[in-house]
Amino acid sequence: MKLSGEMKKALKTVGAGGAVVYLTTSSKNGNPNVVGERFVTLFKDEYILIAEMFAQKTRVNLLENPHGVITMSHPLKGRTWTFSGSATILQEGLPDDYVWEGLRAKDALDEWGDWALKEPPSEVPPDIRPPSLVQRGVITLRVETITDFAPENAGANISL
Amino acid sequence: MAHVTPRMKNWLTGLGAHIAVASKSGIPAVVVVDSATADDDNTIRFKLSEKQVALIRSQVTENPRVAFGPGGIGSIRAAYQFKGAGRLEDNILVVAVDEIYSTKPGPEAGLRLDVLPYEQVIQFETSRWLDNGPPK
Repeated sequence: MKLSGEMKKALKTVGAGGAVVYLTTSSKNGNPNVVGERFVTLFKDEYILIAEMFAQKTRVNLLENPHGVITMSHPLKGRTWTFSGSATILQEGLPDDYVWEGLRAKDALDEWGDWALKEPPSEVPPDIRPPSLVQRGVITLRVETITDFAPENAGANISL
Repeated sequence: MAHVTPRMKNWLTGLGAHIAVASKSGIPAVVVVDSATADDDNTIRFKLSEKQVALIRSQVTENPRVAFGPGGIGSIRAAYQFKGAGRLEDNILVVAVDEIYSTKPGPEAGLRLDVLPYEQVIQFETSRWLDNGPPK
């Protein structure tokens, strides 16, 4: 799946000019879960990575039902995009040769396995800054569909 | 039923929400709105466009479970997740909230707020956040 240059620029942490996003998952029997995420990046052009630090229900959901939806939240700047696709958690401890949907876990974890060191949340105000950041892996979504979420165009396929 | 606090209402009515539904087989879908109304202490209403209704009608009909979090900068400043039973009344999605979680990163991520005494939830909010809603 191709992403536009604008999308590539936006799928970064806020401090790097990107955006906070919402990650939506669901249990296998249809109980949805939605959580705001700050540590986000695009990896190898088709995977969106999110730091797995405090995910609890998300983790349970992805283990039983590997689907995810990512929506842009703040700052929006007209970036009304919904990215959907297969999703998983690439966990520290996986074998070096573990490959998910064409992505080698080691590649993602080597680069983004210690997000707080690579991109510390220095711009985050004290009252919402996490007390400590301990990462267990990366939540990974392979982008399969891109749709618009603007109300007048909701659901329109804008995949390139 | 859960008790939605004034701070929660201020964020939801001021900046709307990212609203998640899912089919019975667990395929999620999301609509995003920029405002909401709060009828009482646990009923939140979202006005949807025709296209948003079309996007989620079948899911809400077969599976009324809905989850949502505050939109815009509320996604980080108002770290809550609300869950409840949704129904469509024409183009209005009405959600009776029955679970509220803290999604504040850290040891309180996933803390269920609706089972705490209301005064304790207010104390939780005032001791952690400096605001009572989105910036004007």
